[in-house]
Amino acid sequence: MPLAHPEAKSDTVRPARIAEDLFRREGARLVAMLAGQFGVHRLQLAEDAVQEALVRALQTWPYRGVPENPAAWLTQTAKNIALDYLRREQRWQEKEGGIAQEHDRWLAVPAPAESHDGTFADDTLRMMFVCFHPQLSIEAQTALALRTLCGLSPAEIAAAFLTSEAAISKRLVRARQRIRELALPFALPKPAELPARLDGVLGTLYLLFNEGYKASSGDRLVREELCHEAIRLALLLTAHPGTAVPETHALLALMLLNAARLPARTDDAGNILRLHEQNRAAWNQAMIARGIQALGLAAAGDTLSPYHLEAAIAACHSTAPRDTATDWPRILSLYDRLFALTASPVAALNRAVAIARVHGPQSGLDALAEIATRSPLESYHLFHTVRGTLTAELGHFPEATVHFRKAEALAALPSEREFISRRIRECEVGQSGS
Amino acid sequence: MPDPNPQSPTDEYLLLIRGTHWNQGFSAEELQRVMTDFYAWADGLVQKGVHRGAQPLMEEGKLITGAKGASVTDGAFAESKEAVAGYFLLAVPSLDEAVRLAQACPILAYGAQIEVRPVADLCRPMAEVKAVGNS
Repeated sequence: MPLAHPEAKSDTVRPARIAEDLFRREGARLVAMLAGQFGVHRLQLAEDAVQEALVRALQTWPYRGVPENPAAWLTQTAKNIALDYLRREQRWQEKEGGIAQEHDRWLAVPAPAESHDGTFADDTLRMMFVCFHPQLSIEAQTALALRTLCGLSPAEIAAAFLTSEAAISKRLVRARQRIRELALPFALPKPAELPARLDGVLGTLYLLFNEGYKASSGDRLVREELCHEAIRLALLLTAHPGTAVPETHALLALMLLNAARLPARTDDAGNILRLHEQNRAAWNQAMIARGIQALGLAAAGDTLSPYHLEAAIAACHSTAPRDTATDWPRILSLYDRLFALTASPVAALNRAVAIARVHGPQSGLDALAEIATRSPLESYHLFHTVRGTLTAELGHFPEATVHFRKAEALAALPSEREFISRRIRECEVGQSGS
Repeated sequence: MPDPNPQSPTDEYLLLIRGTHWNQGFSAEELQRVMTDFYAWADGLVQKGVHRGAQPLMEEGKLITGAKGASVTDGAFAESKEAVAGYFLLAVPSLDEAVRLAQACPILAYGAQIEVRPVADLCRPMAEVKAVGNS
């Protein structure tokens, strides 16, 4: 592999530029490629070999210069490391009198370009269908995806899910073991199975995104990283003809349109800001434009998924030039349809907010009272926050405070509790002012 | 009291990078960030015109001892936290300058160590022979 020796360079030749996310992107690709080559039951080997290749780059490039083609260097190095490991394992097994046939098979596997009809992107896509397999738990799916597809370290994943690094490592070990036990194929599902399997993949991506999007806790940056990784994986799905269906575009649109507002969701002190308090100039307009474009692609065909409706709602918010210009009647009609489609209590809660914006706070409260499936909402702090907000808008401050206190008791995150206690203080001011 | 060192420095200094396991558990992104910073530091040496050479070293190696190299053992380099991971050879006017450049190396923040050694005109035994001859 030719290396650009720093001392050999003329003063005019600058070092090869390294793409910002080269290691992460190439790392994820290489894990998928090696898993395709050696079998997904050797996922740990693939991950270790790639990690080692990245470490070797760190240990070599600063001394000798960055190779002309960094990606090719990483690929070759990771492959050599994996093959070295398998050869050592084979020799050991031969010494032990074990059967080396399986190893011969791995060592004899041709290069991925010949063994697969597709490209790197196809390997990553296959890996996605392994990581998001319905026979793995949701926790295993998300941890595995972040480790294997996104190249996050166990410590980073732990920070995002508010758990310990050891717990994440354990979860990953179990997930890889489960993949071996189930002998999951490293392949795209058959056409007949694809729609159902894709539903599962989209569902987990949606959860992953929401996990990151949830009102921020300790590590805001790591959580935003989850959103961006979910978007990256959704983009991969939209780039492949087999998975680029309207639902996929709709999910991508909903992620982009919501993620565009991430930079404005909190103030400098980390306090949660409501939509009307946010600085709209801080919204990522390029992301909004891409979201709208994705929503356009989602409209092909006659599918109307919940993702379509949520994306359309996000588009209403993201494209309103001012808070007062928000098209609440349209948002309400979208929530009507979303609730009709999903019967989800959370959709019902959001619908009640839209009703309040269109028909006034009392109508919103009436809608809340009518929600038949209310029991799961009773333990959801936002339900009580909404009740408190609408009640306060009617000027009934003591009653509103009762609702906010319930919300405060249920809120898990300090930032949420702080948000609610600010509302309680506003009620106290409102009461003394009336 | 020991004899004064008869060696003389040259205008070259060797930076020995010590520590081979400080990058464990880094994510791909962290590895790239450190690599990029480390590379930028090395490239800065090239731009300043002081870079005379650099190589990383394998962790494995042999230790040769005894007359006629009778004993060849696996060096326990990898086990040591201070094992030499590589070197940079710099041409700078003074030890102070070499130290100053070494202090800017970003991997120090992660627990790597740098040993700065002036390149001498002669190894000490030879310098002592020469000093005796001159006196």
